[in-house]
Amino acid sequence: MIVEFKNASLSYGDDRETLSDLNMALGEGEFRFLTGPSGAGKTSLLKMIYLALRPTKGDFSLFGENAMDAPREALPALRRRIGVVFQEFRLLDHLTAFENVALPMKVAGINQNQYREDVSELLNWVDLGDRMDAKPATLSGGEKQRVALARALVSKPDLILADEPTGNVDPAMSERIMKLFIELNKLGAAVIVATHDLHMVQSLGKPVLRISDGKLSRAPGSGGAA
Amino acid sequence: MSRNSAQMPGNQNEAEEAPKRGFFNRRKSEPLLPEAGAGGAPLTAVIAVISFLAVLAMAAVLIINAAAQDWTASLRSEITVQIKGANTAEIEAGSAAAMRILNETDGVIDAVLRSQEDTAALLEPWLGQANASAFLNVPALIEVKVSLELRGDLELLRNRLAAAAPGATLDNHAGWHGRLTTAARSGQALAFTVFLLVMGAACAISSFAARAGLAANHEIVSVLHLVGATDDFIAREVQRRFFLLGLRGALAGLATALIALTLIGVVARTNVGTDSFLPQFTLGGWMFLWLATVPLVTCFVTALTARLTVLKALREQY
Repeated sequence: MIVEFKNASLSYGDDRETLSDLNMALGEGEFRFLTGPSGAGKTSLLKMIYLALRPTKGDFSLFGENAMDAPREALPALRRRIGVVFQEFRLLDHLTAFENVALPMKVAGINQNQYREDVSELLNWVDLGDRMDAKPATLSGGEKQRVALARALVSKPDLILADEPTGNVDPAMSERIMKLFIELNKLGAAVIVATHDLHMVQSLGKPVLRISDGKLSRAPGSGGAA
Repeated sequence: MSRNSAQMPGNQNEAEEAPKRGFFNRRKSEPLLPEAGAGGAPLTAVIAVISFLAVLAMAAVLIINAAAQDWTASLRSEITVQIKGANTAEIEAGSAAAMRILNETDGVIDAVLRSQEDTAALLEPWLGQANASAFLNVPALIEVKVSLELRGDLELLRNRLAAAAPGATLDNHAGWHGRLTTAARSGQALAFTVFLLVMGAACAISSFAARAGLAANHEIVSVLHLVGATDDFIAREVQRRFFLLGLRGALAGLATALIALTLIGVVARTNVGTDSFLPQFTLGGWMFLWLATVPLVTCFVTALTARLTVLKALREQY
């Protein structure tokens, strides 16, 4: 299993559980949409998966390893297998678009000569080939979104997490991004996309997980299992 | 997912249009932590001051050491034989006998019997310019230069002198030598303590700046972690930044300290022959080399402290 939660719960220091009794399994090459109202816990679930938070109760494994008790030193290697498109982009303002996209390669100690072509190719693909040297402050919301997307994909991760990846792009780019996720999924990457865009969810016909009141469930009529 | 897939799905044509970057137009990597977050110019200025003080403290250690060696070198190779007597004739007879013994002794390099006038002149600070030898039996003094081997064991010479000239006493200046050595060592210890305190200040400033930098760059550090950076990677970035800031400040401090030392050296040399307290020194090769290591030590201390601080803070806060 790529991601597996068993009876997991999350609380932020108080007694109230943001997510409770979470059971979920995501295998290799599987695709899930994650939907639910704002504040329901979608981002918290994604944070647990990319190891920014850990469940306060239950079991959680990532890439077959126990992530509940994984030592601090083991986390970077797990995180490098995950590509995350953050809702708020989280680009580094003092770096150019090129350097932001190259960040996962740089922290992995890969020489620039080895990733320069891949980074340039990705930026071209998201129509930012002529904005490689631009700093995030000079980019529009949509352009930042595409830089964040390129950064998430550059290391060819085994698991792609996207939090509202099409929230700031036009419909054409939105469709293109979703097709890219599906193509990457076909190549073997597991994908979880959190979104409010129910039209897109229905049109792609992929399994859907729904979070409501801190509970995760399979959406009615959706294929696959939670 | 295949990690060897070189092109994005459905993107073959666009990939071919990617700009090619040659050797001369390759991108210059920006540091991952912005300069402002690591203290920047204020930190450089503080390290320059710290380096200035550290170089002066190290210079004091070296100058005191050199002066102490000069002062004690002559004391180590010289002894004084004093011949007392009831009258001038007895003193002269004792002096002649002592000179004979000294000239026969292996290890005696030179022996000079000071004249009555020279010896009386030594008493002038206490007795004034009166003719002391007219009313005192002023002892005769023989200044003797000896080898280090003989200096190491003067007992035989002392006994032979006592047998040949009963009023003869041998002074090896051990008391003076000991006091000068103690004074020099105390001065060196004091200067070295100042050097260590200054390095301690460098540690404290570096630690404070590293924590402040980490707090200012909280978002960057979080993103670096989330894309897979290890604590060690982040600490290395901070260490590199502090080393460069430290090097810039430390070299400025060294340059300023060298100018100050050159001026002090000039003042000390122009006061030769007066009662100047300042010892003579010049910024020679070996001294310059020692002082040049101070900025490197400062950089090393600054960078290492920043690294350790960041590693600790990352474990505590992230």
